Amino acid sequence: MSRADLAAGNVIRMSLLFRVQHLLLTVLLTVLAITGFALMYHENSLAQWIIRLEGGVHNRGIVHRVAAVLLMANLVYHAFYMLLSREGKPELRQFFIGRQDIDDFLQSLRYNLGMAKEYPRFGKYGYKEKFQYWGASVGIVLISVTGIMLWAEEFSMQFFPKFILDLALVIHGYQGLLGFVLLYLWHIYNVHLHPSVFPMNPSWITGKVSAEWLRREHPLEYEKLKEEGLL
Amino acid sequence: MRRSVLGVVLLLGGVFLPVFAQDAYASISLEKCTLCHGKPEFRKLLVDGQIRDLYVTGDTLAGSVHAKKVCTECHFDVSEIPHRERPKRVICTHCHFKGNREGAPQSDNVIAYFDSAHGLAIARGNAKAPLCQDCHGSHTILKAKDPGSKVARANVAETCGRCHMEIYAQFKGSIHGAALGKGIAEVPSCTGCHGEHKIYAHDDPKSTIYTTHVSEQCSKCHASVKIMGKFGIETEQVATYQKSFHGVAGKFGSRTVANCSSCHGVHDIRPQDDPLSTVNPKNVPKTCGKCHPGANPNFAVGKIHVDAKNRESGIIYWTATFFKWLTIGTMLALVAHIFLDMYGRTRRLRGER
Repeated sequence: MSRADLAAGNVIRMSLLFRVQHLLLTVLLTVLAITGFALMYHENSLAQWIIRLEGGVHNRGIVHRVAAVLLMANLVYHAFYMLLSREGKPELRQFFIGRQDIDDFLQSLRYNLGMAKEYPRFGKYGYKEKFQYWGASVGIVLISVTGIMLWAEEFSMQFFPKFILDLALVIHGYQGLLGFVLLYLWHIYNVHLHPSVFPMNPSWITGKVSAEWLRREHPLEYEKLKEEGLL
Repeated sequence: MRRSVLGVVLLLGGVFLPVFAQDAYASISLEKCTLCHGKPEFRKLLVDGQIRDLYVTGDTLAGSVHAKKVCTECHFDVSEIPHRERPKRVICTHCHFKGNREGAPQSDNVIAYFDSAHGLAIARGNAKAPLCQDCHGSHTILKAKDPGSKVARANVAETCGRCHMEIYAQFKGSIHGAALGKGIAEVPSCTGCHGEHKIYAHDDPKSTIYTTHVSEQCSKCHASVKIMGKFGIETEQVATYQKSFHGVAGKFGSRTVANCSSCHGVHDIRPQDDPLSTVNPKNVPKTCGKCHPGANPNFAVGKIHVDAKNRESGIIYWTATFFKWLTIGTMLALVAHIFLDMYGRTRRLRGER
């Protein structure tokens, strides 16, 4: 954190590498959702318009697969970065789900219902962020595996009977829908519509959040930085 | 008195004379022709060794739509008897054209025929290509609705089979051919799929059996619960195909993707439990292998026409249902959580103030 940042009361929340990974994820998931749902709901006139825009079903498939390969590459890179890099390792540790997160979740429920006085105090990542992170990761792995099976159908059917591929298709489609719902209801609310960040949390572009925001939303992280003398 | 009787006779004669005269002309004409053609042994040895029967009697046209015609009305190029040259093939459009004075029925079928594969073959000079009489018959032409007609549903396959012999043999062994043989009225014969006069080559985009039209053509019957219900055949194949990768690609204009006949066969369509059927589990690897190199018995494991919304699809149905409720449940939980969060936050802000 530079002196200027500190002077302005800013805290770095996302390093440049994470921002690039996040931006790739945003763009690729959008492309995949558009091309995927166009096929899934091909009877819809908007979907048909999208498919024509993409140059027919064949080209739609190519666009979808190119985006998918990039997304998988992004995921693999991210996994290695989190497991091996000096920046990633402590980040990954903070993403582990523990007993505390379940307690936090229950306490926030009690608080929101008016049954507790204290709202839970989060570290760098609260249960919302962790749920989002692991949900997205597991979802992308699942959708990638089924997607590859369907892509290389002649290869997959050397090992699997046809109904497994039908199953893969069903899972691929519904997993896409579930992921999309999570993204739009949960992530968009948490980082755009939530009163504490509206119109948006700027960290995905600038990488920074204000120290004041951190103190209110992630007090444990704020205190930790304060102790370390970084604030 | 005598005069008046004579007058009446003359008057009546004047009225009926032309009729008598025409009758007389007809009988004379027939008599003249049957002088030679009326002998049962009157036949001709053709160059290729075949014998052509030329036996024609006064009864030949009886019962046909042309019962009242005489020979020269169709064989109008015969002007002297005996004729020196072989009469040309009869040209039906001599009478059957729009606005003809004979009152001969005429539709656009004749025009359609000239644009068809058969008509174009004639135009290119293929003497073996069929003209009207080759399908409708020469002397015993009956209305298409008449069960005895050569173009009646039950007979048309045989009529087409006179030239398309191999295809006829395949068709006869198929489920459609077998049902046709049993006299089932709903089953398609050749014209059911290929059309009647507008018959085009299978690689002509105008054809009813062009690759992008096949599923539509089959679904005319196979999507109809009314027809299929009679035979205990499912109609979901049409919908499941349309939702499948094959169906969607076909709908968006792919010419290489599998349509119904790619898997089920064309003229040799047989029920799945028939060992000769292309969709018999034993033959599925070969059938799928036409497009998917290296297809193995795995291609036959599981329902081919699978509908995730149908309970009979088993694990696929249950997985789809699980995901459906998981998605609905997640949505509800998230919406609830979001509203709770906003409610709690408002209170917290109030408390802070």
